[in-house]
Amino acid sequence: MIDLTVKKILDIDLETQKAETKSFTDLNSYIGGTGLGLKLLEMYSDKSPIIISTGPLNGFFPFASKTSIVLINDGAVEDIYLGGSLSTRIKFAGLDSIIIHGTAKEETVIEIQNSNAFLKEGSTDLESLGLPGKRTVIEFDGKKVISDQYFTTPENYLEKKFIEKNIKGLSITGTEIYSPKDFDEYKNLYEEMLNRKNELSVEMGGYPSCSGCPMGCGKSKIGEIGGNILLNSLVACQYADKIYTDIGTIFSCLNSLGYGYTHEDIENLPTLVEQTIKKI
Amino acid sequence: MPKILKPTQPEKCIGCEMCVFEAQRQLKKVGMEESLIRVFRKKSEGKQNVEFELEIDPRINILDIDKISSICPRGVFEVLTEQSQESEKDTNPEKGREQEKSAV
Repeated sequence: MIDLTVKKILDIDLETQKAETKSFTDLNSYIGGTGLGLKLLEMYSDKSPIIISTGPLNGFFPFASKTSIVLINDGAVEDIYLGGSLSTRIKFAGLDSIIIHGTAKEETVIEIQNSNAFLKEGSTDLESLGLPGKRTVIEFDGKKVISDQYFTTPENYLEKKFIEKNIKGLSITGTEIYSPKDFDEYKNLYEEMLNRKNELSVEMGGYPSCSGCPMGCGKSKIGEIGGNILLNSLVACQYADKIYTDIGTIFSCLNSLGYGYTHEDIENLPTLVEQTIKKI
Repeated sequence: MPKILKPTQPEKCIGCEMCVFEAQRQLKKVGMEESLIRVFRKKSEGKQNVEFELEIDPRINILDIDKISSICPRGVFEVLTEQSQESEKDTNPEKGREQEKSAV
């Protein structure tokens, strides 16, 4: 189930081949995406994790369509962003973050269905896993990690981690549904946000689009790296920064869904993240 | 005259799933489960061209299908009346059969 009062984490240990879900109420102030990812990186820093996170608005509002990936590469903390359908699938799996740590002895494929993870042999056909139309397939072809047959991330940080951990691919299926607390308000806000598409800094195109974004811009293919911490914690698209750095709008969106955030939570996020990075 | 939602130009689909979410919102829910529209990625050989397939549950036609059609940024859908669909079949039986197939 999708529970907005906690941060729900799926912890996958490739070393022991075990997975478990954990719920944290004390991580809510990290909002989501990179804010939450960095806090989890601090908690798991000795395990060389890959931390994949959604934000609180992913799956619910247009242009909140990226997924945050936080990891340590050659001793440096890196945050990269992947487009496509992954953020909605994680959201509808009822999860906020997926942490993959340890190293598998053999090449491994990870299948996630809502809160459950199953580790399979590397030769498993990814297309045979999960539910088509409700899943994201991420494949490592030896050179690039490719999501939805199209979307990638900048640099080769994720690829190096996949090699280090012996990961061949992932399939993530989300079948949870959610009814926002104030549905009419939610619907109105959704339409208002969608009507602001002229504020995006990309043109509409005919390229494969991220889930929940009508732009088809072609620029999201290569992902994003670094950027504004609020945007990256909401895991919105960098090209929608005018919309997703408007705190009043963000606060209304969060409220309509039933999150208990205050203006101060949003305003204090940069300081909280800065303090977290210093501890890593 | 009853209206019918038809994906008359499915090759234009970019997989944004805006139609899926609109149909779900009209049923007061958010998510992919039990959606009356599904978008599938077709496995392509060269990986350069990503193609999509649409599957539409006929129950979609009880919803506001004009709104679902208009939210699509690529004009994949058309809202037809049953009568116009029948006359299409009469004048072009081959196209009529193709339309039935793509609409599932």
